[in-house]
Amino acid sequence: MSRCMYRCGLILLIAVGLAPCWLPQRAIAAEAASGDASDGVAVATLTSESPRAPATPVDAMAAARRLDELLANEWKAAAGAPAVASASDAVFVRRASFDLIGELPTPDEITLFLLDKSPDKRAKLVERLLGNSRYGLNWGRYWRDVILARRSDERALFAAESLTTYLADAFNNSTPWNQVATDFITAKGNLGEDGRTALLASQWGEIPETAAEVARILMGVQIQCAQCHDHPTDRWKREQFHELAAFFPRIGVRPVRADGQRRGFELTAREEAPPIAKIRPAKLGKAAKRFEHYMPDLNDPAAEGTLMQPVFFVTGQQLPVGEPDSRRRETVAAWITAPENPWFARAVVNRYWAELVGMGMYEPIDDLGPDRQCTAPETLDYLGSQFIAHNYDIKWLVRTIASTSIYGRESKPRPTADEVPACGCPQPLRADQLFNSLTQALGLDGIEPLREERGGPGGPPGDPRRAMRTPRAQFQQVFGFDPSEPRDEISGGVSQALLLMNSPALARGMSLDAAGRSASPLAKLLADAGGDEEVFVELYLRCLGREPHADELAVCRRHVVRVKDRREAYEDILWALVNSTEFLYRD
Amino acid sequence: MFSFHRQTRVTVNRQGVVGRRDFLKCVSASALAAGTVTWTDLVAASADDLRRRGRACILLWMQGGPSQFETLDPKPGHANGGATEAIDTTVSGIRIAANFPNLAKQMKHAAILRSLTSKEGNHQRATFLMHTGYAPTASVKHPALGSIVARELGRPECELPAFVRIGGDIRQRNSGNGGFLGVEYDPFAIREAGKLPENAAPTTEVTRYRRRLDLLEKLEADYAKGDGSQRVVDHRKLYEKTSRMILSKDMRAFDLEREPAAVREAYGSTPFASGCLLARRLVESGVPFVEVQLNGWDTHDNNFDRVKQLSGQVDQPVANLLADLDARGILERTLVIWMGEFGRTPKINPRNGRDHYPRAFSALLAGGGVRGGQVVGSTTAGGDEVAERPILVTDFFQTLCRSLEIDPAKENMTPIGRPIKIVDGGQPVSELFG
Repeated sequence: MSRCMYRCGLILLIAVGLAPCWLPQRAIAAEAASGDASDGVAVATLTSESPRAPATPVDAMAAARRLDELLANEWKAAAGAPAVASASDAVFVRRASFDLIGELPTPDEITLFLLDKSPDKRAKLVERLLGNSRYGLNWGRYWRDVILARRSDERALFAAESLTTYLADAFNNSTPWNQVATDFITAKGNLGEDGRTALLASQWGEIPETAAEVARILMGVQIQCAQCHDHPTDRWKREQFHELAAFFPRIGVRPVRADGQRRGFELTAREEAPPIAKIRPAKLGKAAKRFEHYMPDLNDPAAEGTLMQPVFFVTGQQLPVGEPDSRRRETVAAWITAPENPWFARAVVNRYWAELVGMGMYEPIDDLGPDRQCTAPETLDYLGSQFIAHNYDIKWLVRTIASTSIYGRESKPRPTADEVPACGCPQPLRADQLFNSLTQALGLDGIEPLREERGGPGGPPGDPRRAMRTPRAQFQQVFGFDPSEPRDEISGGVSQALLLMNSPALARGMSLDAAGRSASPLAKLLADAGGDEEVFVELYLRCLGREPHADELAVCRRHVVRVKDRREAYEDILWALVNSTEFLYRD
Repeated sequence: MFSFHRQTRVTVNRQGVVGRRDFLKCVSASALAAGTVTWTDLVAASADDLRRRGRACILLWMQGGPSQFETLDPKPGHANGGATEAIDTTVSGIRIAANFPNLAKQMKHAAILRSLTSKEGNHQRATFLMHTGYAPTASVKHPALGSIVARELGRPECELPAFVRIGGDIRQRNSGNGGFLGVEYDPFAIREAGKLPENAAPTTEVTRYRRRLDLLEKLEADYAKGDGSQRVVDHRKLYEKTSRMILSKDMRAFDLEREPAAVREAYGSTPFASGCLLARRLVESGVPFVEVQLNGWDTHDNNFDRVKQLSGQVDQPVANLLADLDARGILERTLVIWMGEFGRTPKINPRNGRDHYPRAFSALLAGGGVRGGQVVGSTTAGGDEVAERPILVTDFFQTLCRSLEIDPAKENMTPIGRPIKIVDGGQPVSELFG
C-alpha cells in the first residue's frame, strides 16, 4: 500500500515541477501524461510505442562514441558542471579487472599496463579480459545471486553451483542472451545437474511468484504489484498479472529418488492434463488447479477463483486454455525474448550499464516499464536496439559500455537527486569479488574454511549443505547481497568488520610465520624484496592495485621505526590495507 | 532539563536499574558533582527518562507463519480446527492449543491477540511488514523495529550492540535492518547462542590490535581527503563501534557457560532455548532489543505433526523466559513478543497442511507494562475472519511503541530528507495496558 502511495506522491511532485533538474523534460511530460491517461489504459499493452526498424549493427567502438553523444545530449546540464577527468591507468585496470573477471589485476599486469604506450591499450585490456574464462565465471556468479537472492525456498540452493557453471559457459561462449532466457523459461530437470532450472525453481513451484520473477529478472517489469489489486499508477491490471501466471501452472519441484537414495530435487512439469480437464477444467475444482491457473477471489480466498487464459501482457498475444506445458513455456519464452518486446533488451542493458557505470538509467535496475522514469531514454534505447542487432551478445554489450567515455572517467560519489551525473560512481565489491581479492592480496590459493560446519557429508548433486562448507560460500553468507538492490544502500556491518579484522583463517594468511612447511607469502616477499620501500610498494600493489603515495610511504616507514620489530610492522601494514575502505570498493 | 540528561546517562548503571535505592545512590553522586540541581528537580525530571532507559524488547520470531489454530487460537470441534485440542491455562476462561502446556501455566503474564489482520501473504513481504510496520517499497528502506528501538532506547554507555538477532538464517535479509537509519542500527546477527560470536576476539594482544587500528586510520588519510571521504567516515564509525564491542568486558554476556546449570536446564537444550536464555542475559547487560528466530513454520504439508514438533521447541523456553524475567524483576520493563509473519488458512489442504493466511492471525505479548492474563479480539467459529476488534499492523506497532515508551509519531529523515513516522497511522490497543 505504501509503495503505491509513494509512487502517487512521486508523480505529484514531478507534475508540480519538483523533478530533479537533470531529468529530461520529455520523460517528465510523458510521466505526467500517463498519470492523466491512467483511466483510459485499462487494457493497454506495453508496446504503445511505434515499432522500429531493426538497427544496423555497429561495432563496439562506434557504438560507444554514439552513446557518448546521446548521453551528453540527454544529460545536458552536464555542460555547466565541472568536467570529470579520465581515470588514471591504474584505476582503469583495477576497475576493468574487477568488473570483467571479478578480481584484482596482479602487480605484474598493472606494471605492464602502465608501461604500455599504445593508444588503444584500454580496448585491448578489455578484449583480453573478455577472453579470460573467469569472465564467464564472474558474471555467472553475479546472475546466480540475482536469481537466487529472492528464492522462496532454501532448497533452491541445490541449483547454485549448476547455475553458475551453466552461466559461466554461456557467457564465455557468447551464447545469445535470448537463448539463455529461453533456457530458463523452458527448463526441466535436476536442480543440481542443470542450472537452467534455477530461475523457475527459485520460487519452488509457487505460480504467481514464478511469473513475478520471470517478469522482474528478464524484463525488469515489476508486474507483481498487480497480484492483489489493480495498480493506481501502473497501467496493467490484476488480470494481466494472472494471465502471465497462466503460462506456468503446470510446473513444480519434487524430490528425486534413485536406487533408494535421495538424489536432490527436480523441476518437473505436467505436460498434458487428463482429457476431462481439457474439456471443462473449470468444473474440476481443486484438481484442475494442477493444470490451469486461477486468479484468487479476493473476497473469498477459499473460492475457486477465475480460470485464466495465458496472455502476454506486453503484446496481448495469447494461447488458449488447455495447452500442454511445453507449448505454453516455449511460446511465452519466444514472446518475451522477441525484438518486439522492448523491455527484454532494455532490462539487461540497463542492468549491465548500472553494474559497470555505477548507476542505472532506470533505478531500481529491475523496475522499468512505461510508467517509470528513465534518466537517458534515448541512450538506453540505442544501446538496447544495438544489443538486439548484435544478436543479444553480452560480450558486445560489455565491450561497448567499457569503451564509453563515462566508463573511462574518474568515479565520484553518487550525485544527489538535484545534481548532474557526469561520471560513474564507486561500487562496493560483491562477496565473490572481495573473496577473490582477499586470496590474491594474501597470496593464498584459497582460504581455509572460515568455520566448522555441522551436518552430514551431503550426497545429492548440488547439495547446499556440502557447498556451504566452502570458504567462499561462508564468506558469501557474511558479505553477500542481492545485486538488484540499489548498490548505494549496501553497507557494511559489524559481522563483516569482525571477519576482516579477526578471522583466524585470514590472520594466518597475513602472518609471517610459516604456513605448514613452506614459508608464508609475506615471508617470501620479505626474502625477495630489496628493502622496506620495495615491500611497501609490493603490498600496495597486491592489496589495492596501485603504488603508495609519498605520505602513505612515510606512514609505513614511521610505523616500522615505531614498532621496532620489522616483521610485526609488515604484518600490521598488510592488516591495515586489507581492512581499509579502499579495499572494499572499486573506484 | 536538557542539561542534566547527560548526567543521568552517566549515573545509570549498565542495567539501567530502576530500583529506588540504586537510583538515589546514583543521584547523590551526580548531583553532588554537578552542584546545580536540587534533589526534587533531578528526581522529577529524570524519572521518566530513567524508566524509559530500562525498557527492552525480546522478539521471538517464528519464521514461516505459525498456525494460529495449533498455537494461540485453537478451534476444537470445528472442521477447520483439525485434531488439535485446547487446554485450560492458569487464567480461567483462556484456552490455548494443547501443544503449549508450559506456556499455559504462565498465562498470568501473557496477553493473547487473536485478531491481527494484514494483507501480505508472501513470506518476504510479510516478514518485512511485521518487522518494520511498513510494506516493503523499492524507494524507502524502512528500518526494523529492532533498529528503531536501538536508536531510541540504546544507551551510549552500553558497549554491546543495541540490536542482536540470534539464529534463523543469517542470509535472510527480509527480517529488516537499519534501513535508512543506516548501518549502525543493523542487527548484530549471531548464528547460534552459547558461545562468543565468531571473530569476536582480536587475533593479537590488545596493544598491538590498537596499534593496527591507529595505523589504519593514518593510512586512510589520503583516501579520506578525496572522494572517498564519506565512505571512510562510515567505515571508521563501523570499526570504532566494533572495536569498542570486542574489547568490552560485557562480551561475557554471550557465554552461557557462566549461567548455573539449573538455569540452563530450566530453559531447555535446543538452540532456540539457548537463544531465549541469551536474550535474557543480553537484556540484563543493557541490550534494548534482542530477536530470537526459529525457522520452519511454513507448514504447507503435514501441518499438525510439524507444528507439534516446533511447539515442543518453543513451549518450555518461552514459558521459562517469562517466569525468569518475572523472578528477576525485569519483566515489567521488558516486552516479550511471540509472532510470525502471518497465520495459516482455516481450511486444511489435501496434504494435511495449511497455507498462508494474513487475514486473521494471532500473536502473544508479555511484560513491558502489558497486563497479562487476557485475550484481545477474537475470530469467527471457523477462524476465517476476525469477529471482534480487528488489530491492523499499524495498531500493533502503535501498541509496541506504547509499551516501549517510544513516540510513534516521531519522524526520522531518510537520506533524501523525506520524514517518515516510526508508525504511520493506527491506534494502540489500549486495553492491554493498565
